[in-house]
Amino acid sequence: MSTIYPESLMPELAPPESRPPRLPLGIALILPAQLTLLLVVLAPTLIILWLCVTDWQPTSGTAWHAAEYIGFYNFQDLFYDRRFTDALLRTILVVLVCVGLEFLIALGLALLFLDDWPWRRLAIGVLILPMMVIPVDAANAFFMLFNDHGPVNHVITIVLGRPFTYAWLADPDWALVPIVLAEVWQWTPLMFLLVLAGLTNLPRNQVRAAVSLGASPARILFRIMLPLAAPVLILALLIRGIETFKIFDSIYILTRGGPGAATESLSIFMYNGAFVYFRIGYIAAAALLVLVAVILFCIPLDRLRRRHGG
Amino acid sequence: MSQRKSDVTNRKRRRFLQAGAAATAAFAVAPGAFNREARAAGALENVHNDAAAAAKKLAGGRPVTLKILEPSGSLGNVKPVAERFTAATGINVEFIEVPLGEINQKVLLEAVSKSGAFDIALPATFGIPDLVEAGILVNLDQYAQKYEPAGFGDDSLYATGDFYKGSRYGYQTDGDTYLAFYRKDWLADKEENKRFSDKHGRPLAVPETWEEFDALLAHFHRPDQGKFGGALFRTQYFIAWEFWSRYHAKGFYPFDGDLNPQINNEAGIKALEELVAASKHLYPGARTNGLFENFEAYGQGDKFANVGWGGTQKYLNGPKSKVAGKLAFGPLPGGKVNNKLLKTPYFNWGWNYVVTTTSKEPEIAYLFTLYATSPVLSTIAVRDAGGYFDPFREAHYKDPEIIKVYTPEFLKAHHASLKDSIPDLYLKGQGEYFDELRVNLTAADVGKKTPKQALDDTAAAWQRITRRLGKRSQVVQWQFLKSIYPDDVRTALV
Amino acid sequence: MAVQGILPSWSTALKRFAVLAAMALSFLPIFWLLSTSIKPHEEWAAFPPVWVTTQPTLQNYRIVFAPESAREFAATQSGSLDYKVAGSAWKAFGDSALISTAATFLSVLFGTLAAYSISRFGTGGSTYPLQLLSLRMFPPIAVVVPMVALFSLLKLTDTYLGLIIAYTAFTLPFSIWMVRSFIDEVPTELEGAAMVHGLTQFQAFLRVTLPLVRGGILATALFVFILNWSEFLFALTLTSGHVTTVTVQVAKYVSASSGTLYGVQAAMGAISTLPVIAFGYLIQRHLVRGLTFGTVKQA
Repeated sequence: MSTIYPESLMPELAPPESRPPRLPLGIALILPAQLTLLLVVLAPTLIILWLCVTDWQPTSGTAWHAAEYIGFYNFQDLFYDRRFTDALLRTILVVLVCVGLEFLIALGLALLFLDDWPWRRLAIGVLILPMMVIPVDAANAFFMLFNDHGPVNHVITIVLGRPFTYAWLADPDWALVPIVLAEVWQWTPLMFLLVLAGLTNLPRNQVRAAVSLGASPARILFRIMLPLAAPVLILALLIRGIETFKIFDSIYILTRGGPGAATESLSIFMYNGAFVYFRIGYIAAAALLVLVAVILFCIPLDRLRRRHGG
Repeated sequence: MSQRKSDVTNRKRRRFLQAGAAATAAFAVAPGAFNREARAAGALENVHNDAAAAAKKLAGGRPVTLKILEPSGSLGNVKPVAERFTAATGINVEFIEVPLGEINQKVLLEAVSKSGAFDIALPATFGIPDLVEAGILVNLDQYAQKYEPAGFGDDSLYATGDFYKGSRYGYQTDGDTYLAFYRKDWLADKEENKRFSDKHGRPLAVPETWEEFDALLAHFHRPDQGKFGGALFRTQYFIAWEFWSRYHAKGFYPFDGDLNPQINNEAGIKALEELVAASKHLYPGARTNGLFENFEAYGQGDKFANVGWGGTQKYLNGPKSKVAGKLAFGPLPGGKVNNKLLKTPYFNWGWNYVVTTTSKEPEIAYLFTLYATSPVLSTIAVRDAGGYFDPFREAHYKDPEIIKVYTPEFLKAHHASLKDSIPDLYLKGQGEYFDELRVNLTAADVGKKTPKQALDDTAAAWQRITRRLGKRSQVVQWQFLKSIYPDDVRTALV
Repeated sequence: MAVQGILPSWSTALKRFAVLAAMALSFLPIFWLLSTSIKPHEEWAAFPPVWVTTQPTLQNYRIVFAPESAREFAATQSGSLDYKVAGSAWKAFGDSALISTAATFLSVLFGTLAAYSISRFGTGGSTYPLQLLSLRMFPPIAVVVPMVALFSLLKLTDTYLGLIIAYTAFTLPFSIWMVRSFIDEVPTELEGAAMVHGLTQFQAFLRVTLPLVRGGILATALFVFILNWSEFLFALTLTSGHVTTVTVQVAKYVSASSGTLYGVQAAMGAISTLPVIAFGYLIQRHLVRGLTFGTVKQA
């Protein structure tokens, strides 16, 4: 049902007089972005590609371009580095849980906002507040909230009727919970906006017809709305998935990766590697592996998105 | 007076030994670099005036500005000194403030960017080896040769962190010796004494060994009555510091002479087991709380023991604490080695004034650091409550204002501890070594690894780190570092 | 702009309750920030926690904006927090505003142009968009040291221009992807029709397509602004005092005698949210509508 004529692929379809002067304009339009990226991103990326096959550390006293070439030793080291593999698996888990929760909550909320009601606007305004707060400040707030003598435990104490001073952030098994909560709190609004937009812009005829025919809400949702909104939804999942992979601020403030290394995400692992160990070459190799992992994660999602007409 | 003189003599003896040891190291150090006798004339008491005058002369009327990179929260110690320097020399001083945990990294990034953004920095002492190896710190020997008066170094009670592989790279400006705090009134309580001596056969007293310390923790730990054995810490860094002290107290260096790790020997395993056992007698917040939460918690008055620095005492002696005046102090406990008491007081953290190699005025910058750490000016700095600096020069312990803030009993313990403190691990890659250690220690503490596993893993990791960083170069610094351990400890440790 | 809901109408009360619960949860941490920002320092980490203080104080905000008057105040009020700080946060706010606004503007501008090019001409091939997105997959930490090395070579460390260019580059993939989705939804016949009437391709883009995706572009601008405004790592490592941002400033509120100054950080956090909220309010009309990806879609 796409209304986009693939003129870019089949120029013969365009009316002759208006066949666009493709390449020059196209390239010209993309030039500012491309140049900026080249300047800022290309050079460091090339440097990283070089560094990941060296053992460079600033503390070796040599410049980065004079570092010693060690082939693929870094990758070998990473493969055997328990902390790296743990961080990788842990981050994947966090991504799945966070994005999953964000999506479900956003979907649930969006369904509540499909129709119009008096203070809907205000409600949306409040619901999107969390994503406007700077992540570092939000993490500080969650740090205070989940303190063992903090408000969350205070509320639980009142509810349970007995003192509850569980140290959320010091438990090696459950310290991820406040972290996940902080992330979900902060970014569900974004997901909510995208899902809401996707669901409100559906062809109304189909939905109205289904409702008048007596279809159940579940049926309408799963058979009609979600498939139609798929491109937007998958875009939302893609964006949030990629960003969550890099989760750093909340973990840094809440637990610093601790206790021990129990809440170390990939970014925290790299932060330690780069700023405590100063092993820049090693971390460059880790970054490359992460890049490959994320790309592998994104390709099927993108294919799915395109298949649904995105 | 004679006490001080014998201190100085001890230091001279140590320095000669160092000169010898350093010279025989694989990478030779300039002979006589350690001979503190041949210094420029200039009385110790007047060094600040001389330094200022020399700086003024060097500036020669030019508009010179020195930029200091300082950690957030330390401005109170640095600004008063800088203002007086500017008044005396006409040289401007600007401050660049960096978040507390990022200052060492910022100095290291300067080694990469070489932007010349600052002339002087205040990194944490344990980071100096990395910074020297990165080439960002100026070797101050040449300037010290020229300007440092006799006795200047000796007057600073702890200068171990100032040196790397035999050369001076900074001036210590904070007396961060680690001390233990105890409830004097609980120790004096007759009932408690009876209960304790019935069980252990000796009265309650300030412990001298970690075994005695742990026994006291266990004795006073009665959570059902609202009392805890200790506050202390079981968080990042802190757990590694406590282990460092416990391990040295058993009579061993963490590495042997050839930089092979030995922390996983029997003594190490025992030390870690005792640390884990002691965790049971700490308050629940030990696993989560940072430094200031610890002050407040201990200040509530329901815990027997604590560890901390001068800053801890500043709070505990202040209006908000309920334990002011009720405390006894001591260095971190030692151990019994060959039936003799081995005292191993410990210096961790610390701040040093250093000069960057990207500075355009290294000599003037050096003179500022000399000025700032001179007896007169450092006293002014330490007096200020808006900063981290604790006493570290003889003059500080005699200053009435400082005495009032810390109390005489505390300063007595602080002085004794600082004078003979064992150092942190001043090696290149300190961050890596300690990070491996603390992750494994925490794993043992929460029961995910046995102490033996944890220490074996640490030792294996340390071996890898050393190999990667270049064993020969590391051994040079390790042997140098061992040679400047305090005399009593150095002769007792294996 | 709402369409027909699909949930049964008897559940209205339940629905409203769910919305209220969500609003409360959304607001709770923000409430805590606001509440802490007016607490005196004894109450910041008090136990039991103080939900609403009975001794509100402006001292935290004073420390943020007027440190000198904060010190005077502390000198006259015993027990009030006396914090020695290097400077007021005005500079941080000003610098952040300048850098974030400029970077957002450039990112959305370049991004829109590029997005049009990709959408209409397929410039760069079919994998180009994914390539762009992969640039956002790089954990920033890994890039810091090479960035510092590069920027020092270009003499861009500790400059406004340096940070603006860096932020623009970091958010470009995001801008391009989002705007491209909006442009994709606008049928090319509209441009074709305009071109039949004599406009060039680019004019058609400006006069026809752009107004239709204006809402989406503004929504993208908001998200990009949020990303720029909250950025911490590169603000910390690429500056050395001459330029400072809000995120770095917050991290500096640590004192030797009182530890982390929660109240001051909360005050700073509260104020930092205002520009974002203001921006969001200004474009609120476009926000949800803009995200509906164009207004022309056939059933």
